[in-house]
Amino acid sequence: MTTLAETKTEDLVEYYFEQAWSDGLPVVPPTPEKIAAVIDALGGDPEHLEAVVPPRRGGLTRQILAVNMVMAGCKPEYAPVVRAAMLALCSPAFNLNGVQATTHMVSPLLVVNGPIRREIGMNSGHNVFGSGNRANATIGRAIRMILLSVGGGTPGDLDKSTLGSPAKYTYCIAENEEISPWAPYHVEHGMNPDDSSVFVIASEPPHSVTNHIADDAEGVLDSIISAMSTIAHNNAVSSGSCAVVIGPEHAATISKSGWTRHDVRNYLWMNAGNKFSALSFNDRYGKIYNRNLPRWYKREPDARIPIVPSADDIHLFVAGGEAGRFSAFIPGWGHMTSPVLLRIDGTSPDAAAMCEDGTCRL
Amino acid sequence: MIYDPRGTIDAPVLHLAKRPANLRGLRIGVLDNTKWNGWKLEDRIATTLAQRLSLGPIKRYKKESFSRDARPELLAQIAAESDLVLTGIGD
Amino acid sequence: MHDAIRLETSGIPTAVLVTTVFLHEAKVQREALGMTAIEPVVVTHPLSTLSNEQLDERAAEALEQVVHAWGGK
Repeated sequence: MTTLAETKTEDLVEYYFEQAWSDGLPVVPPTPEKIAAVIDALGGDPEHLEAVVPPRRGGLTRQILAVNMVMAGCKPEYAPVVRAAMLALCSPAFNLNGVQATTHMVSPLLVVNGPIRREIGMNSGHNVFGSGNRANATIGRAIRMILLSVGGGTPGDLDKSTLGSPAKYTYCIAENEEISPWAPYHVEHGMNPDDSSVFVIASEPPHSVTNHIADDAEGVLDSIISAMSTIAHNNAVSSGSCAVVIGPEHAATISKSGWTRHDVRNYLWMNAGNKFSALSFNDRYGKIYNRNLPRWYKREPDARIPIVPSADDIHLFVAGGEAGRFSAFIPGWGHMTSPVLLRIDGTSPDAAAMCEDGTCRL
Repeated sequence: MIYDPRGTIDAPVLHLAKRPANLRGLRIGVLDNTKWNGWKLEDRIATTLAQRLSLGPIKRYKKESFSRDARPELLAQIAAESDLVLTGIGD
Repeated sequence: MHDAIRLETSGIPTAVLVTTVFLHEAKVQREALGMTAIEPVVVTHPLSTLSNEQLDERAAEALEQVVHAWGGK
């Protein structure tokens, strides 16, 4: 850890701005006491290396993790979540190297499941993607600050995103397991309800899905399908995986029709998509064989091209407040990345576990 | 007290492969990064140079995904079957 | 850059194409991965929307650089 000498700068907040050690918002100047509290929460040993963060490949020691968490405004008890999220983001399948450098507006979305959500006071209800909750806001911010400083994802420098997105400040939610009619996401993927987990997916910001009229599963899901069925997002042309967040009122309606999570994901997969003629612009720019889509898709004008290769590539969550007939579709970056689910201790879900109402495959 | 949040870079020191004395007859491996037009450009370069410099045969390999690293088995195969490689990154 | 560096460490001279806007990224990557001596072959951005004629021009930009990267004269 580099500890610079005492600075003459009176205002430490301004000093951190001047060094470009900030996401553009004021940071909390770290103190030895605050850093020590986070390192304790991580298990001690400040020099212990947790991860190497691409593309700069800076070393994320517990000390550096703690410095960034303090600067982002995190409490020490958020430490296991931030650490697990960084382990997930730095696992090879996620391809953080590409996520950080691409021209696309992608940002990692973090979804937290299990008891830790409540223990640290995360918001999974009203305004779940919005502001106003310290845990959601500062966990997501700490991750972004680590991607910026340790990972070197500086805008215009290594980060070549054409437009970026507001999700590049903070993008962290918890599943509303209490209100959901279904098993939580991590249970669907083979964990126990008592496990806590982090799920990361490289994705766009959420796209709102309104439906105030349908009183059955098909109606609500057809609106989500409408949001999914466009040639504008990366899934349409580059496959990969995506997320769907169902609001509690919509979830209740779907569940009242007797549908399981599995039914929902299959229905979405079966009915969302584009015709190949739309993706190929009716050959306006010559005959196109899109090599970023699976080779087993038919390249014929009337063929239906699914948004993602399988229903298991649709990651389904229930989140949001109890009032309001809204859901959200969250397009992914494409086949260049795979989402990652880890237990809060950083271990992978047991592939041999029984999976309730779904699949063990990520 | 000031804390630098960036963390240190601890990279190994790696060296380039030894360059051949003469390129004539050497086998060319072209690793297609699957990016739009990437292979067309690589193909043009490889075929032009092969003709101009009397290089050996060209063999093309395809990555799973343009943004990801190639699988180790694929890289091992390329290394076994090529004397020189052409590949690409970025748009 | 990762692929090129792995091939170089297994003894294969490798020319790695990069467009102008990704040159800086390529240089940062080679530092981060520890192979500072690898010189990317630079062509003008972009590639994805080019016609065949424009691709010929990009190829012409690259030829000498590729030969140099492989160790030829």
